[in-house]
Amino acid sequence: MSFLISVAWSALGLAVMFAVLSVVVLSMVWLERKALGRLQLRYGPTRTGKFGLLQPVADAIKLIVKEDIIPNDSEKAIFWVAPVIVVVSAFVIWVTIPGGDSVVIKHLPLGLFYIIAFAVIGILGLVLAGWGSANKYGIMGGLRSAAQLISYEIPVVLVAAAVAILAQSLDMREIVAAQSAYPYLVVLPLGLVIFFIAGLAEVGRTPFDIYHAESEVVGGPFVEYSGAHWSVFFLAEYINTFAIAALTALLFLGGWGGPALPDVVWFLFKTYAVVLVVFWVRGTFPRLRIDQLMAFAWKVMVPLSFYTVIIAAVYRFYDLPWWSLTILSLAGLAAAGWIIYRRMTAPARRVIQIQERLAAQRGAAPSPRT
Amino acid sequence: MSTQPDTLPDIQADRADAQPVEMLLNMGPQHPSTHGVFRMVLWVDGEKVVDVEPHIGYLHRGSEKLCEGEQYHQIVTLFDRMDYIGNFNNELAYCMAVEKLMGLEVPERAEYIRVILCELNRVASHLLYVGTMGLDAGAMTPVMFSFRGRERVQALFEAVSGARMMHNYFRIGGLKEDVPDNFRELMDELMPILREDVEQSDRILTFNEIFLSRLKDVSPITANEAIAFGLTGPMLRACGYEYDVRKAQPYSVYDRFDFEVPVGLDGDCWDRHWVRVQEMYQSLRIVEQAMEQLPDGPVASPLGRRLIRPPAGEAYVRAENPRGEIGVYLVSDGTDKPYRLKVRPPSFCNLSALRRLLVDTWLADSVVVLGSLDIVLGEVDR
Amino acid sequence: MLESLKGMMLTLASTVTGLRRPVTQQYPKQATPVKPRFMGFPALTWDGEISEPYCTGCMVCIRNCPTQCMSASMMDNPKHADGDSSRRKIVDYFEINLNRCILCGICVEYCNFDAIVMSHEHEMSTYARNGDRVDLPALLEIGKKYQEATDWIPPTVLAKQKADAAKSAAGEPAEASGG
Repeated sequence: MSFLISVAWSALGLAVMFAVLSVVVLSMVWLERKALGRLQLRYGPTRTGKFGLLQPVADAIKLIVKEDIIPNDSEKAIFWVAPVIVVVSAFVIWVTIPGGDSVVIKHLPLGLFYIIAFAVIGILGLVLAGWGSANKYGIMGGLRSAAQLISYEIPVVLVAAAVAILAQSLDMREIVAAQSAYPYLVVLPLGLVIFFIAGLAEVGRTPFDIYHAESEVVGGPFVEYSGAHWSVFFLAEYINTFAIAALTALLFLGGWGGPALPDVVWFLFKTYAVVLVVFWVRGTFPRLRIDQLMAFAWKVMVPLSFYTVIIAAVYRFYDLPWWSLTILSLAGLAAAGWIIYRRMTAPARRVIQIQERLAAQRGAAPSPRT
Repeated sequence: MSTQPDTLPDIQADRADAQPVEMLLNMGPQHPSTHGVFRMVLWVDGEKVVDVEPHIGYLHRGSEKLCEGEQYHQIVTLFDRMDYIGNFNNELAYCMAVEKLMGLEVPERAEYIRVILCELNRVASHLLYVGTMGLDAGAMTPVMFSFRGRERVQALFEAVSGARMMHNYFRIGGLKEDVPDNFRELMDELMPILREDVEQSDRILTFNEIFLSRLKDVSPITANEAIAFGLTGPMLRACGYEYDVRKAQPYSVYDRFDFEVPVGLDGDCWDRHWVRVQEMYQSLRIVEQAMEQLPDGPVASPLGRRLIRPPAGEAYVRAENPRGEIGVYLVSDGTDKPYRLKVRPPSFCNLSALRRLLVDTWLADSVVVLGSLDIVLGEVDR
Repeated sequence: MLESLKGMMLTLASTVTGLRRPVTQQYPKQATPVKPRFMGFPALTWDGEISEPYCTGCMVCIRNCPTQCMSASMMDNPKHADGDSSRRKIVDYFEINLNRCILCGICVEYCNFDAIVMSHEHEMSTYARNGDRVDLPALLEIGKKYQEATDWIPPTVLAKQKADAAKSAAGEPAEASGG
């Protein structure tokens, strides 16, 4: 009997989760369009409802009503099942992401492990979508997504491990409780940066939107999808973005901890703040190339995340004061930033130097023409 | 495809030595980043471009042939529509060709106004380039920033010529009419804002680390090769070769202004971008000087509305367009229509280096390289 | 990293400038004003004094049109026979295919009778391929709208006024020195 009740509760929880996440996606679509508009000197949506608030609803209706085209040459079964895999994996991780101390569908003692394990499955859906749609751009995008997402899974996992070392637990509730004194943002800024960047790559947002790059592979795995099928991918993308933002908030920003307000409000506030930063990054940066993306993952992100794990372990083992971890972390960040700065801007600065030298020469001996 | 008729060339046969790992990727004419209706057939090995075959002609309108059927004053409208981003520069090149053939003297004020409009047009064209380059590299915002500036320039064009793009404002021997009375106020209002817009679209993109890593050392070309390919304009100057028709063979009143010719170093995509950005500042400098020197006087053509019949003969005129050197070769047989009019379009000549630039780059680079060529298909296909 | 952060600050600042000084115009709701010289679709002008078109159907615009988008024919002016009008001939039929027109303004430049203007009309979309073939009444209608909106004075009259004004401004000292 108690088992049945538990099942019923879980089912109810899943239904509620689905409803809440749908609302979250709608709010994120609106927020993204509005935020991007503002960043780009535009208004964003204004026509549908006050401040264009009904725009995502209109978008959703349009997508569902649209004809769902399935290419003749596609592998029908794979083509059909790929979006389902993507969206299910996106939804399933939310089972154990807590929105507050008791706001969770199923509390798992190994919650962080579960989340990371299930987040990977979505890649399979993307590769299948690219392959099944019998389109060269789709194949290109699918393979790109496989390479990209698997590479960036490693930093995410390692940084999550570092946090687990600090908190001595894989339980989300205990990780948040361990941050009651100070959020891990303070002690592990390096971890936050790595987690955020790798998270962007995980969900394929600019500057890592390589597998569905509009100007190169025209949507990648999604190129042949339309209507409701495409909207499912869209849904999964936004849920994943929200999940990464929520995890950033939970692991580094102190989760739902905060004064005065109820815990869910704090959680949503922090998560939406991270989401806004994601949109802000999207509104500023160009996209990396696939080889640069992989090089960045294996040459910068993975070593740095190993470094994060090591300093967290050393800190735990020798029981150092908390600020020593901050210093170690910032040192790693500064070293990485300096190397990137030197490597990337050096050739450009050389051009400027030579240009200035030429101008100086010309100033010394004015050219006969002027 | 089995449905293909036999008469079409079998593209598979062109590369009989193709490796089994190679994939034929048809990019364009309906691809978001092929700048209009350009089509590239790419052979890719994974993400590497092995070979490329460009297909042009989707926008062919037979402009040169149409010119033979139009009277001289009507051809200006056709030149507006060749390089539809640098309209004024194109009109200028054509008008100069006819003026050279007829030995016409253009009123000084008209020359100055022509230079002002052409340089503003260059700024507008390069702003468009910066925006689309950002889009090609995956940044969404620069295009909004740069279109804001371009929009302001176009508003000025509308106030002067009555049209935002297809102006038909230059006439053989002068201008259609004088600039509006409040031209100086309009310019005083425009220039500081435009400079700010140019600076912003420069700041958001040029030295961004990701943008740099995308463009720097991508498809470099040496100056010798560039000359051999006939590249001109920013494409050539990016290789470090200082060649600008405005300096090398000053036309109109360009010899009266003090400006630099920015040159790059390595001839790669970033240098091309950087040269264009610097050119915008130089163009603004020229406009400011021209506004200071702007004399009073007539602007209308001494010919008035008379039918133009240049003497039999031929003339070749070159001018510096935003995209490179435009050449107009005009043959007249003494009638009211040209016997032959040949245009050397800069985009077309620059595009000829595409294969050299694209082979052995990444697929993602092919988009960036094409963007850095800054082609206008209206001019390539004519 | 520094330049990236600068770029992020720029986009952030643009949200503020965008709010303070928006550059977007909400087009269909908020009509975009056109400049006085704006060249919209060509239209025929209406001589209010005699209430007939300025156009005499002389076809000079048609000969000079680069796209051959117009056609016209002339007839004897009945009002001239009555002595009301100085125009001996008047336009009988005029048609412009506005889908073919490239808005170059050459017709206006070559018209000898101030009869054709580039109006400020630019919102004339139709669904049919040749849906914008406009005939004489429609052209005059657009022309009247333009004349009313801009207090149109025939360019030749305007040029004469200007020349007179210049003469009267510079005329007296010139006459004094001449006399």
